[in-house]
Amino acid sequence: MKAPIHMSRTTEEIALSAPAPSRFPGSVFNDGTEPDPRFSLANERTFLAWIRTSLALLAGGVALEALGLRIQSDFRLCASVLLILCGVLSPVQAWMGWKKTERALRIGTPLPPASMALPLVILLSGVGVFVLAGAMLA
Amino acid sequence: MTPLFDPGLQPERTALAWRRTGLALLVASLASAKVLPSVVGPWSVLIGTGGVLGAIALLFRAQRRYRRLHRMLAAGGTPESVANGRLVATIALSVVIVGLVLLIAIVQMHFE
Repeated sequence: MKAPIHMSRTTEEIALSAPAPSRFPGSVFNDGTEPDPRFSLANERTFLAWIRTSLALLAGGVALEALGLRIQSDFRLCASVLLILCGVLSPVQAWMGWKKTERALRIGTPLPPASMALPLVILLSGVGVFVLAGAMLA
Repeated sequence: MTPLFDPGLQPERTALAWRRTGLALLVASLASAKVLPSVVGPWSVLIGTGGVLGAIALLFRAQRRYRRLHRMLAAGGTPESVANGRLVATIALSVVIVGLVLLIAIVQMHFE
């Protein structure tokens, strides 16, 4: 007799914690419970910081080509392309990170690492190498 | 004066983060209207205009959202939608698209 009561409670709990159907994306909001609003707000600020990083990287990539610096032009293009690639990867990190963190906050698991950090470090080191080599060749 | 929701001023800090992102976008768009024509050609009109309009919309939207959030949180209610995946996805996707357009345009201009 106890088992069905327990089961019905569980379904009731699931029904109560179910989100409004309009919330996007479902992979984040279909599970868990509403976290402390302060954590969601902090997660949002981290997202925005990645977006500003991306804007800065894109601006750097364009500036390198636009300012007519004395850097060997093929090396300059490589550096510029790498910077813009980083500027494209950053919003991907921004989105994935926001999603994974919001989900972790809802279901109470440890927060995810910034998985795009290492690729960005490698690419940005490449930018430095190209700019340095290009400046010495010019 | 309405009572504060959080002594750590989380909603206010988030509102300011939105504001500096919007302003960064606005400055970047204005700068690109000046610099981009020599680098990426006619794409610059699209990127510049879209960026300025997007930044202005973002700034207004962020301000409205902050007011709504502040009212809701200060009143002690549980906000059912602090997190907003649609806006987050839209912004991330727009920046990715702008980046890809810049990438194609810069490589194209280099080999012309």
